[in-house]
Amino acid sequence: MQTVRLALNAMATRFELVIHGEDAVLLRAAGEEALSEIKRLDERLSFYNPTSEISHINDNASKYPVQVTPELYSLLKMASDLYDKTEGAFDVTVGPLMRCWGFVRGSGAWPKESAREEALEKTGMDQVLLDEEEYTVAFKQDGMAIDLGAIGKGYAIQEAADLLRECGIISALLHGGTSTMAAIGTPSPGDEGWTIGVIDPLDESNMLTSTTICDEAFSVSAPHGKAFKKGDQIWGHVIDPRVGYPVQGAAVAAVIHSSATVCDAVSTALLAANRTEIDQMAQKFQDIRILCAYSDGNELNFVSNGFNSVNSTILNDEKNG
Amino acid sequence: MTKKTVSRRAFLMGSAALSGAGLVRAANIKTRPWPGNRDDVHCGIIGYGPQGREITATLARVPGAVVSAICDTYAPMLRRAQRDAPDATRHADYREILDNPDIQAVIVATPTHLHRDIVLDALSAGKNVYCEAPMASSIDDAKSIARAARDASSQIFQVGQIYRSNPQHRSVFQFMRSGAIGKPAMARGQWHAKESWRRASPNAERVRELNWRLDPQLSIGLIGEAALLQMDVAYWVLGELPTAVHGFGQIMGWNDGREVPDTIQAIFEFPSGLHMLFDATLVSSYEEAYEVYMGSESTIVFRDRGKAWMFKEVDSLMLGWEVYARKDRFYKETGIALLANATQLDAQNVDPTEDDPNVETPLWYAMQEFMDNHAFGPYPPAANWERGLEAAAIAITANQAIMERTRKEIDPLLYTLD
Repeated sequence: MQTVRLALNAMATRFELVIHGEDAVLLRAAGEEALSEIKRLDERLSFYNPTSEISHINDNASKYPVQVTPELYSLLKMASDLYDKTEGAFDVTVGPLMRCWGFVRGSGAWPKESAREEALEKTGMDQVLLDEEEYTVAFKQDGMAIDLGAIGKGYAIQEAADLLRECGIISALLHGGTSTMAAIGTPSPGDEGWTIGVIDPLDESNMLTSTTICDEAFSVSAPHGKAFKKGDQIWGHVIDPRVGYPVQGAAVAAVIHSSATVCDAVSTALLAANRTEIDQMAQKFQDIRILCAYSDGNELNFVSNGFNSVNSTILNDEKNG
Repeated sequence: MTKKTVSRRAFLMGSAALSGAGLVRAANIKTRPWPGNRDDVHCGIIGYGPQGREITATLARVPGAVVSAICDTYAPMLRRAQRDAPDATRHADYREILDNPDIQAVIVATPTHLHRDIVLDALSAGKNVYCEAPMASSIDDAKSIARAARDASSQIFQVGQIYRSNPQHRSVFQFMRSGAIGKPAMARGQWHAKESWRRASPNAERVRELNWRLDPQLSIGLIGEAALLQMDVAYWVLGELPTAVHGFGQIMGWNDGREVPDTIQAIFEFPSGLHMLFDATLVSSYEEAYEVYMGSESTIVFRDRGKAWMFKEVDSLMLGWEVYARKDRFYKETGIALLANATQLDAQNVDPTEDDPNVETPLWYAMQEFMDNHAFGPYPPAANWERGLEAAAIAITANQAIMERTRKEIDPLLYTLD
């Protein structure tokens, strides 16, 4: 058994890939192909690259329907379906709000109310017209923008994992920035799967829970990272697209599902969802496993569905589904 | 209906980025509609590896182009094609595409050593042909293709030397030919990546086919498969072709039984006396790819697939406009950004020191030129059979010099047809 490790900087993060198998030369070749697929998708989907399809949409879709590749069309259609299924909590048109809250190239600042309201008006996947016949994308109004930041990484990992399987790989783990990952098979024959853990957002030395994944994907989202302080409160870079304010719900949300794309999108949506909505999401996506942790002062409360019991002494509310 | 058609509405709207002159921003679409009543061009893609996929994705956004058929000999590639171009028919034999009278154009994106038969068959089937670069990996193949393209003068034949169609390169080309660098001193180029150049598949036969770049009988190595587009820019902007090449090749990182060097250096001698060093490696990605042209007044650097900067000597004359130009810092040097279309952007109230927000990739412009030729041609494209033959012949000779670690004369007869 041989092990090959590869890495790539793309999508403003670091991707790492570990592959086990018989022939290191072929394992590496397969890994390179998978990572080059991520690089290709980065060029095509990046909000910041002026030649990307996304930039062309953002520059022109309010003026005329912009022709896109069937591949991007399918991804936007999937984003639209996820918008519907999450009742708007996942929304790739959150760009104007991100800009207004200063999170596009900075670490955030409290906006003027009029600017926030205007940005909120320009947000909503229901204002994006997708024409299936022509493969075009149009915006209902000027100033809208699509940013695939909350789904692009998951999609790229999904595509790369599919390529690895096509190359005959039966044991691999691929992650982007440790927040989204896909597992192929198990690390060794007989193992249950790849062991993954969710770090406690209040104490990074503590692991909230660990579980195994096998031919599944995993994603974890948290509003911390890019954030600013106003009064006593920390305002993070994940914005609830329905109200136009940074989310003040879950401190961390984790999702396991067969699709890395779904994991990436739903883990973001969960940060904006209340408990009823979390239950609804768990119903709408087949075979999904969900974990949300809410910070209540110094304590964490959990809502979980299908995760192993949470390794925390301050567990108040666990609902294993 | 199996083929996707682009409606007249979408077509006219989409053609905003086009004009007979070549450069009109998309925002101008409504004021500059496409002249004439142009029909869609139905294209067949032959070879659906990474480059075939990239071309298909690009054509989906080039007005007037419709990918109607895709051919690959490997079933998983065709499954990918079904997803990328759901309305295109899929074929394992390229002759089925050539037999389809509705297909006007074929794009040949197979391994280089397979180009000849496909291009010759396509031209004799009356198709317009876009052939990926390098055009061929042997002098015989290159000449056969060139001869067939020359004789099919009523058909379009374009080679994938894409920078020839790129507005940014065209703009800097004019700038350089006006003498901006002063007296040329020397030139240097590099292509660096950290990758094995191997491809994997669960099927052993497929592994052999996929790894043609590492077969010394089939491959013209890094100087052909990686450096050719950059060297083509050198022949263009310098306005001359090299007469000799010294080559060196080593296996420095990938000791996996390969014979094709993973690291090379080639020094090209030009008639003017100028030398250009090109190095390429699969062991280190340091600084990736760029070309640099050094002269007595300034140095011009091309990098990031078409961006260019000028670095002036302290005693060089002021050019006037550089006061207003955007400057970018490169460690201790300051580069003046050379932007295509700056005057036009200024006229459209777009800051000419910013990158054009509607800029496309070099491949997009090459495909646009190919499609334009269907509407207004046929005329010889910027990357015609002569440019393809010259670049291939020089790369083939340079690869021989690299494999033999020697100096080779580049006889003009290598790229001259009888």
